[in-house]
Amino acid sequence: MNRRNFMKFLGFITGSTFLSSCGIDKGLRKIISYAIPPEKEIIPGEPLFFNTTCTECPALCGIQVKAYEKIFDTERGIYPVKLEGIPDHPINYGTLCIRGQASITRLYNPHRIKDPLIKERDGVFRSISWDQAFQTIISEIEKHKAEKRYNFFISSRTTGSLSLLIDEFCHEFNIKRLPEFEIYNYSAIRKANSFLFGKYSIPHYNIKDADFLLTMGADIFETFISPVSHAVQFSIARKNNNLKWFHVEPHLSLTGICSDKRFTINPGTEIYLLIYILTSIQKRKISSNIPASVGQLIPSLPLDILKEKTGLKEEEILLIRDAYLNSKRPLIITGGVSTRSGSGFEVAVLSGLINWASGSIGSLVDFSREENYLRVGTIEEFVNFLKTIDENNTGLLFLLKTDPVSIFPQHLGVKEKLIRARFKVSLSDSFNETTKICDLILPLSHSLESWGDANPRRGLVNLIQPATKTIFNTKSHGDIIIEIMKRKGKVVSEDFKSFVMSNYQKRYGKDSLNMFIEKGFHEENPSPVRVSFNEENAQLFLRKLKYPEAMKTPLLILSPSLRFFDGRSFDLELLKEIPDPLSTISYGSWISLSEETAKKLNISERDELEITKDQWSIRVPAKIQKGIGKDIFIVQIGGPINYSGMTDPRSGEILSYIEGINIRKTGKNVSIPILSGSMSQEGRGIIPYPIHRTENNKKHKESLYPEHKHENYRWAMTIDLDLCIGCSACVAACYIENNVPIVGINEHLKGREMSWIRVEPFYDEKDGIRFLLMLCQQCDYAPCEPVCPVYATYHNPEGINAQVYNRCVGTRYCSNNCPYKVRRFNWYPHEWEFPRDRMLNPEVSVRQAGVMEKCTFCIQRIRRAHDIAKDEGRSIRDGEVMPACAQTCPTRAITFGNILDKNSSVYKLSKSDRSYRIFEQLGTEPSIYYLGKRRGDE
Amino acid sequence: MNKAISKAIEFRYRIEKDVLAAMKKPHIQYWIFLFISVILFVTGMSLWYYQIKTGMGVSGKTHPVGWYMYITNFVFWVGIAHSGTLISAVLFLFRAGFRSSFNRSAEAMTVFAIMTAGLFPIIHLGRPWLFYWLLPYPNERLLWVNFKSPLIWDVFAVGTYFTVSLIFFYVGMIPDLAIARRYATGWKRRLYSFLSLGWQGTPDQWRHYNRLYMFLASFATPLVVSVHSVVSWDFAMSIIPGWHTTIFAPYFVAGAIFSGTAMVITLVVPMRKFFSLEKYITLDHFDSIAKILLLTSLIVSYSYIVEFSMAFYGGNIFEMEVFRYRAFGDFWIFFAIMIICNSIIPLFLFIRKLRRNIKFLFISSLFVNVGMWMERFVIIVTSLSRDFDPYAWGLPSFSTVAIGITLGSFGMFFMLFLIFVKVLPILSITELKEVHE
Repeated sequence: MNRRNFMKFLGFITGSTFLSSCGIDKGLRKIISYAIPPEKEIIPGEPLFFNTTCTECPALCGIQVKAYEKIFDTERGIYPVKLEGIPDHPINYGTLCIRGQASITRLYNPHRIKDPLIKERDGVFRSISWDQAFQTIISEIEKHKAEKRYNFFISSRTTGSLSLLIDEFCHEFNIKRLPEFEIYNYSAIRKANSFLFGKYSIPHYNIKDADFLLTMGADIFETFISPVSHAVQFSIARKNNNLKWFHVEPHLSLTGICSDKRFTINPGTEIYLLIYILTSIQKRKISSNIPASVGQLIPSLPLDILKEKTGLKEEEILLIRDAYLNSKRPLIITGGVSTRSGSGFEVAVLSGLINWASGSIGSLVDFSREENYLRVGTIEEFVNFLKTIDENNTGLLFLLKTDPVSIFPQHLGVKEKLIRARFKVSLSDSFNETTKICDLILPLSHSLESWGDANPRRGLVNLIQPATKTIFNTKSHGDIIIEIMKRKGKVVSEDFKSFVMSNYQKRYGKDSLNMFIEKGFHEENPSPVRVSFNEENAQLFLRKLKYPEAMKTPLLILSPSLRFFDGRSFDLELLKEIPDPLSTISYGSWISLSEETAKKLNISERDELEITKDQWSIRVPAKIQKGIGKDIFIVQIGGPINYSGMTDPRSGEILSYIEGINIRKTGKNVSIPILSGSMSQEGRGIIPYPIHRTENNKKHKESLYPEHKHENYRWAMTIDLDLCIGCSACVAACYIENNVPIVGINEHLKGREMSWIRVEPFYDEKDGIRFLLMLCQQCDYAPCEPVCPVYATYHNPEGINAQVYNRCVGTRYCSNNCPYKVRRFNWYPHEWEFPRDRMLNPEVSVRQAGVMEKCTFCIQRIRRAHDIAKDEGRSIRDGEVMPACAQTCPTRAITFGNILDKNSSVYKLSKSDRSYRIFEQLGTEPSIYYLGKRRGDE
Repeated sequence: MNKAISKAIEFRYRIEKDVLAAMKKPHIQYWIFLFISVILFVTGMSLWYYQIKTGMGVSGKTHPVGWYMYITNFVFWVGIAHSGTLISAVLFLFRAGFRSSFNRSAEAMTVFAIMTAGLFPIIHLGRPWLFYWLLPYPNERLLWVNFKSPLIWDVFAVGTYFTVSLIFFYVGMIPDLAIARRYATGWKRRLYSFLSLGWQGTPDQWRHYNRLYMFLASFATPLVVSVHSVVSWDFAMSIIPGWHTTIFAPYFVAGAIFSGTAMVITLVVPMRKFFSLEKYITLDHFDSIAKILLLTSLIVSYSYIVEFSMAFYGGNIFEMEVFRYRAFGDFWIFFAIMIICNSIIPLFLFIRKLRRNIKFLFISSLFVNVGMWMERFVIIVTSLSRDFDPYAWGLPSFSTVAIGITLGSFGMFFMLFLIFVKVLPILSITELKEVHE
């Protein structure tokens, strides 16, 4: 090379290097350093906690929000990543259900309404500013006031300050506030209580103090009043009073499965059994509280008729009766499908009589802590209101967080009736059938973005406080109403926060306010409420008592859904991703029927059926399931499936039954994602009850490799199958805690769900259905470890079978070799689009496509506990670390701890005589000990 | 000149000419076959690219079935590779004369089959760009491979096998390359000169050559047993019922030789016809190789019986379910094809007439190829579908990508073989001379 060329090259290289390094904006991001210090109290990387209230369902559990400060491009904000129960909250005691866990995904739902929307003349929604929205409302109010039209306000259940504010709002603008619209309004129970005891309310059931519980139709673990509270109390009663629990139902529910004994009764014949129990108590004379004047009116039923009507066997009836009579503190709870029938009112009254007779009213049935359903109306009332809507007389219609259009079937014309109102304003967080017909949509903030309070029951007030600023252009309901009133010149309060605070101060004084904000709730000892027995009404009732006719078959039962409540949680993807524990179906709707019925009608699984009754119809694929009565069909509420809209005029409840349905095969075959490969244990002794109990494979297998050394800690878990109710809260908690991706129906159809923990139902031993929690067993001799060619999975010094995502090359050999099949492979890359990326737990890495992932015993929590313990110069205490699954478990079935510590509860439980491990004969030495069942006749 | 000598020389030239005639300008048929193979290969590779781009999900694997067609293909192609070594090394040591008709194509087949097989463990990786992490190379982070893992054994077994087969193939070809050099012109001549490493055929060279060949043969022989034993341990070392069994090593070795022999027949029959090599590859030779096919078929069938009997008499519920499922479950058709192809059709080879019937032999070799692919598929998929936890039972899903890549591997193999027949001497000329004198 000569000098000339050298200079040319030098110039070229220098020039191109220089040019290429300037002017490229692609991929360039600004880094915000902490030169601008974060808000006070924020330590970078440390979580923040806020105590607030879960508003996913009307139970209003107290929740602790875990939030992190996160930086996205130029934006810095605090974002919640996980919800957990407030440890000493009187409803949920630190636990949370599946819906509560999933409700955080409602905050980050990309399909939320992002701006106020107004309907144009052509029927298309256009976004407007809040200012314009308020102006529109004011002018509409003025207009209809001038034209003397009636305005209405409909909402779902509201409590506390919000309810007061709505009252003021309605008063101010002369709006008629309608009874609140809730499908599950328990009006049969309330009416019965008003009839017998003069209290139109739902009492608080003290299950924890009972020693015998008889539930009839009441789905106490799914939707009934306060499911988490019931589960917590069940667990306490089980431990303290050795609670015995029978469940009577016409269909098949999670609650029924979890009881000690489940009885299938002919639909609508609960009355017979209730009368029989009442008579039996009465015959005992000494211990009945029912006065003789009423007692003598109780009809006595011959056992033969009882057997014939209810379809129960004689020994079953006697078993229920004796259990009731022989217990000291028996409690009967009726509800759910049993009170949503034509005889629902009678069922509720009779159970009230039984509770009165056995002296449970006042102690186990506590009216002093009555649930706050004061403003909730009945379905009957709502249907009557619809009739009054008129184009000329009805002006404004406010719909707050309620979706009546999709709740009622199309042929009832609810939509057409609501449309008649001149101007409809919807306050909603997501689009639904009702928002479609509205003229103005005001986007609501999630409760994690708003201030407020809630009053779930007498003597308890919960705080709702924001854990983040609003993600979209939304406002809380309280703020919207205050703002409208401000525009009209009526200043109630500066904003809803101060309204809530002043309400609290008015009631409880200034001193406890800080405590309230910190704790998230305030409980007072409510003044006792004495109820008296209305003899006259009881006599009247018994004189007029009519026995119901048998329901016409084929019968369809519309059952409440564990995952979607009354359908309101249906838009949460996570809830669809987690399978229904009874059928293991994740996405889509289905209809369950027994094998016998299927054979009779020549239906096979996945056949699409069209179910019609008059104008009402649905199309769903069939699922054959054990444990269902003959000619009975069950669908779960949610999404396309909803109630028929028929009501019972006396109780005002919606009916759960559709009699004499027509069934037609459409000839189509619908793929439904049934995640379970087999509903049977196939005799493998996975749940060794009762036939496998004697099997003992505890022999330690010889190994060529040296034993693992565990110095101070060896993490282990026990799962008490006697307490596990299959509620799947742990599954949801795990998804959120560990950034487990949601993969959708197509992947589910292939069996590629990503859950690290799953609820396996096994239908064995005479229709007995048992749940098993399956998660990584953290084996001491883990079959996955030796087969990994790159040490991506290895045994850590604390006994955890750790997975190094960065090292994994994806041979899937570990998953093949896992006898428990708990490892999950990332088949595709997963998108975490805005705003879902805000939800990611920063303590857990997001996995790339092509790597294996699995349960880590929430190793991030263990690490944190280590750090804290090290700072304080001690070792980790028992119970200090709780994986997300154990933390949320309402029945505390999961115990976690260091098994090397002989004083730890996990060590003690692992030595229980009920303890066993799954597939012990394989010599894998799992770290998870299951405690077998002790239920049934034992 | 002595008449006998001149006749011998003439004969030698004829062999050379006959064998090297195959390397002449190809027929149109050749181009068609090559074109189809290349298309298949290119499609397969494009599908692989698509799979890397979209994710492993397109390959039809599902939750319990983590290994599917790719591992089936891997085992299948490693199996195919086996008879090459058997025919060239083991039969060489046993001085089996008929070997020289097959050994070159068998060795070429071995090399190409391992090349094809070697791709599949990489194709089936979730993150194929990190395949080199399976190699124990020094690195600053002190990351090391797990020598307990049968997959690492695989890396070594297949790597060794490939190296040895390639050397054996090449060394055996040196004298022939020198002959080819003599006939070639232009760049080909230069190529053969380079490849023949200055071979002159001096007595010294022959002495050294024979000794080396002998050593290599002895060295390669244990590999026939070891490589496929190691491959079988991928399964046998696991805990999965249907895999975890001690019979696997001999069972797989026999299966490998069985399928490899079948593939030799599949390749040699058309080659013999196209290049008119009937003189050198005779019916006697086919008779002999058919006997190997028959013997290994019997061993394989025996293994099937043993597997099922063990499951039945063992009384282990997991094991029993897997074998019940294998025969009567969702994949019963695959199982039935496997039994018909591997155990029933080869039984006809007991008849001498059929052993000497080229058409029959060719067709049954095709069946055996299919059957042996099915065998691997059935073992892998049925065992994974139904292991311990009934909740986790499941099926793989249909995947055009996996099928496309599988066909692509056949395309690659045949493409390489077709190139081989035009570029290198397809029969061992020097050995033929030796045998025919």
